[in-house]
Amino acid sequence: MLEILIQLLPSVLLEGLILGFVYAMIALGYTMVYGVLELINFAHSEIFMAGAVAGAETFILLKGVIANPFLLLALALLIGGTVAAVVAILVERLAYRPLRKRGTTNRLVPLITAIGVSFFLQDLVRLIEGLWHNAFYRRYPSFAVFEATYNLPNWIGVITIALTVWVGFWVLAYFGDWLLRRFKNRAPAKGRTLSLVAAGLTLVFLFLYRHVVFADLGMTIQMKSILVIVVSLAMLYGLNWLVHKTKLGIAIRAVAQDAQTASLMGIDPDVIVSRTFLIGGFLGGVAGVLFGLLYTLVHPYVGFIPGIKAFTAAVLGGIGNITGAAVGGLVLGMLEMLGGTYLTFLTNGAMGTEYKDILAFMILIFILLFRPQGIIGQQLGEKV
Amino acid sequence: MSEAPILEVENVTKTFGGLVAVNDVSLKIPRRMIFAVIGPNGAGKTTFFNLITGIYKPDKGRILFDGEEITGKDPAWIAARGMARTFQNIRLFGSMTAVENVMVARHVHTKTSYADALLHTPRYHREEKKALERSMELLEYMQLSHRAHELAKNLPYGEQRRLEIARALALEPKLLLLDEPAAGMNPQETEDLQKRIVGIRDDLGVTILLIEHDMQLVMSISERIAVLDYGKKILEGTPEEVQNDPRVIEAYLGRGAAEGASS
Amino acid sequence: MKKLRENPLLLSAVIAIVALVASFWLLNNPRSTLPFLLTLGALLAALLQPIPKWLKVLIGGAILLLVIPAAGFKNSFLFELGIQTGIYAAMALGLNVVVGLAGLLDLGYAAFFAVGAYTWAIFGSPQANEFMPWKIFPLPGEYFYLFMLIAVVVAAITGVVIGSPALRLKGDYLAIVTLGLGEVVRVLANNLDQPINFTNGPQGITPIQRPPIDWFIALLEKFGLQLSRAEAYPLFFYLLVLVIIGIVTLVNIRLDRSRFGRAWIAIREDETAARAMGIPLFPTKLLAFATGASFSGAMGALFAAKQLYVSPESFTLIQSIMILVMVILGGMGSIPGAILGAATVTILNVDLLKSASDYLNDLRNAGFTLDLGFFKYNFANLPNQLEPAKYERMVFGLIMILMMIYRPEGIIPERRHVLEMKEES
Ligand SMILES: Nc1ncnc2c1ncn2[C@@H]1O[C@H](COP(=O)(O)OP(=O)(O)OP(=O)(O)O)[C@@H](O)[C@H]1O
Ligand SMILES: [Mg+2]
Repeated sequence: MLEILIQLLPSVLLEGLILGFVYAMIALGYTMVYGVLELINFAHSEIFMAGAVAGAETFILLKGVIANPFLLLALALLIGGTVAAVVAILVERLAYRPLRKRGTTNRLVPLITAIGVSFFLQDLVRLIEGLWHNAFYRRYPSFAVFEATYNLPNWIGVITIALTVWVGFWVLAYFGDWLLRRFKNRAPAKGRTLSLVAAGLTLVFLFLYRHVVFADLGMTIQMKSILVIVVSLAMLYGLNWLVHKTKLGIAIRAVAQDAQTASLMGIDPDVIVSRTFLIGGFLGGVAGVLFGLLYTLVHPYVGFIPGIKAFTAAVLGGIGNITGAAVGGLVLGMLEMLGGTYLTFLTNGAMGTEYKDILAFMILIFILLFRPQGIIGQQLGEKV
Repeated sequence: MSEAPILEVENVTKTFGGLVAVNDVSLKIPRRMIFAVIGPNGAGKTTFFNLITGIYKPDKGRILFDGEEITGKDPAWIAARGMARTFQNIRLFGSMTAVENVMVARHVHTKTSYADALLHTPRYHREEKKALERSMELLEYMQLSHRAHELAKNLPYGEQRRLEIARALALEPKLLLLDEPAAGMNPQETEDLQKRIVGIRDDLGVTILLIEHDMQLVMSISERIAVLDYGKKILEGTPEEVQNDPRVIEAYLGRGAAEGASS
Repeated sequence: MKKLRENPLLLSAVIAIVALVASFWLLNNPRSTLPFLLTLGALLAALLQPIPKWLKVLIGGAILLLVIPAAGFKNSFLFELGIQTGIYAAMALGLNVVVGLAGLLDLGYAAFFAVGAYTWAIFGSPQANEFMPWKIFPLPGEYFYLFMLIAVVVAAITGVVIGSPALRLKGDYLAIVTLGLGEVVRVLANNLDQPINFTNGPQGITPIQRPPIDWFIALLEKFGLQLSRAEAYPLFFYLLVLVIIGIVTLVNIRLDRSRFGRAWIAIREDETAARAMGIPLFPTKLLAFATGASFSGAMGALFAAKQLYVSPESFTLIQSIMILVMVILGGMGSIPGAILGAATVTILNVDLLKSASDYLNDLRNAGFTLDLGFFKYNFANLPNQLEPAKYERMVFGLIMILMMIYRPEGIIPERRHVLEMKEES
């Protein structure tokens, strides 16, 4: 039993990592908008959905014209991202900006607007798709190249297990520290070095043991998963460059910190907000296409669950924090896969996959209650 | 017992990120005194108030109110024990009427239970009437009776400031903290306010802790003054002592000015 | 318009005449929507405009107790509409406490509706035999009233359980967390058919007992009305809902004018200032949350009895959003607003959108050709995806966006009551 659980671990984590990249890219949109406007952009899940649907349309329309699947994917990513970015900018222009201009004091107003936009967009896409195709479910075509499976060398799996042990111990040690500090007012213990030792021992043990028992950890990866990772890494790298190395990035960070002062420095906050929606929307759209590539079926309501999870990821990493969103996405993706797989496994299927979604909410609540500033990020009080 | 200070602040520190907003400040405030805290903009006065009233938790130090430790306690808990305040940037409940604003602060003194409110028991009527009467009296006291049923957000600026004081008084506080009560008032209004503050202390026996930039007002009504600069308490004394201390001028006007004044 | 307002006598006369005309029109055309809407409009005008109290009672009583039931016997859909409106109005009033008064954006409100509905559904049907040692279920219909009270309590407890983590969070997060928790309750309803079968999963629970109405039929007979059971139930539920609305409205008004209502509004307006004035944040929020939940729970039990059937399908996010839209449309914090919002959205949703769908369908089936000379369109070509009834999300979304941009205070803005010194005690 335990053996199977351990054998499964590397594959499950890999799956989680791939899903996590998708979450990370959606989470960036939430976090960036929150950074500049302090608004939970509920409509972001529909911006993601618009990208996914636009990507599907691109694939379906151009399948007969362009033979090379990689070129097709590149086009779909570009069009999906662009459509999503345009939707994002329009949403900001038509719904959020009028509110900002009026300067409302009721903090529920922007939030309710965002929810309204989210619902409106779902049915708008449904209407368009419905009128166009007389059906609103779209399916990504499958290509043999994308479905091709590659075996991964066993040592990756072994190291993954050791790393998991390390992280596990580390988390335990951290939690222990926290408990000590919280309830006993005592200094942290030395649990974290211990975790390294444990991980090392596990590694050695597994290397010896696997020749006996684990003939093969059987880790495989599909081409499309590799593509998801490659594209995501490229996007994350690009964003990092944009935010830290360009004028626009500096302006965005300035507005996020203090819009009033930034506008005194000659930065037009409206322009910056608009650009932020553009960037966040594009990332969300690309995430949508990758999501479609992985799960094939897309429809106007496909954004809701990934949206909430990506928001959880953003909170997990510390909302407003760009690195945090990426880290939070990866962590959440892996936690969810772990929870989803092992929960079903351990309860003999009594607790099905729907409980996986609950898990994400539980994590969200837990984080908000005990570490609202997220994994990364520091807490600042409200100015009174 | 009643001679012990109403408020004792011991070595309180608060930082925001890298900024030390309040730095190791200690104070003792005797009962029935009008005590002022002054200092240049950004000196940490409001932060100091927020620490006392529990809105921020101090990083270090202790605060005792009426002999009881209140460090890190919930603001509502502290308020219920008899500490009331006003805000520098007026914080009324805009869409409630003036009298309702005052009645909100009667919450802890109104003994209506949830069931009373639903069933309209005699106790509900009695308590509600008491709360309303007391609130009307306070409005009268702050010369706001004529505005009782107007929405707070529609009141002119000076009246909003007075309404905040009326609301604070409804808590029946032992200690009243006023954060720049005269800000934005004209000389006439300021003069009225000055009388009113002294009156509150004399009529109701409330200790008053006051932040104010209007030196005329501060010097004429406060018995003791503490000066904050860059979060540190640089001086405490009577108005005369403070007025004549070069450090105060230095804090307000910068080093050069202080030298110029002393030469 | 202005002249009308200044002259109470004229105003009263106009409203009375409109009410009379609308009523007769409705009684003669019980199946068309327009007279029904006009009747409701007259009712609303009578209740909201400054006319003498006796006239309000007269017009209100006549329309609610005579005209609508009479028309309902000719077109039972009116009863259905009335009952649904009533259920939603009560829920909107409950959510109004949470969102309108306390300013807490709760997106999982349908969860409490589900809790109330399942409370009666499980014990008022054979379902409870699945997991209870005594095989005495379904409980007889008389227990319905008791279970409505139990549903209130259970929903309030659920509110406390859900609220305890959620309400400690800063405002914005509350919305997304309640959204998640609302889903959690639905997922549980969907999945708790194993390992032990509590909810019967996606199949739902049926048949559910209804309160017995023999006494009601007998009572009607005394008034000379001979009704079969099938005819009497809609009338019974309609009247029951009216009574409940009355109670719920009274509770709402009384809370609003107590120290609790003031505390809620204070928190909504400015949390920091409220705390500095001695209002404990978390307990006060929790009280609002549980109060709202209990309203929803009671209506859930009623819903289960009326429908005879419950399933997780009835408690989705869209339900929560619909009730939120009612509150927003009517005006956050406004009691008449919540009722008006509930009526408008229910009629829009169950009547107007469906009628529009049917109308388009008829045109399509008839192959109707629109000919404007320069523009010709054959409705037979109309895509069958174009069904207004299926686009409720778009309608709700639009209402939310437009209201927030153009009229965030709602149709009937919240008005603070002038407190007067009353001499009686
Ligand atoms: N919540 C907060 N987060 C970060 N910095 C803060 C916060 N509250 C106050 N500060 C900073 O602490 C310093 C002291 O501010 P404070 O408001 O206490 O000054 P003050 O003496 O009241 O000034 P003024 O006379 O202008 O009212 C300022 O630099 C301010 O920007
Ligand atoms: Mg200040």
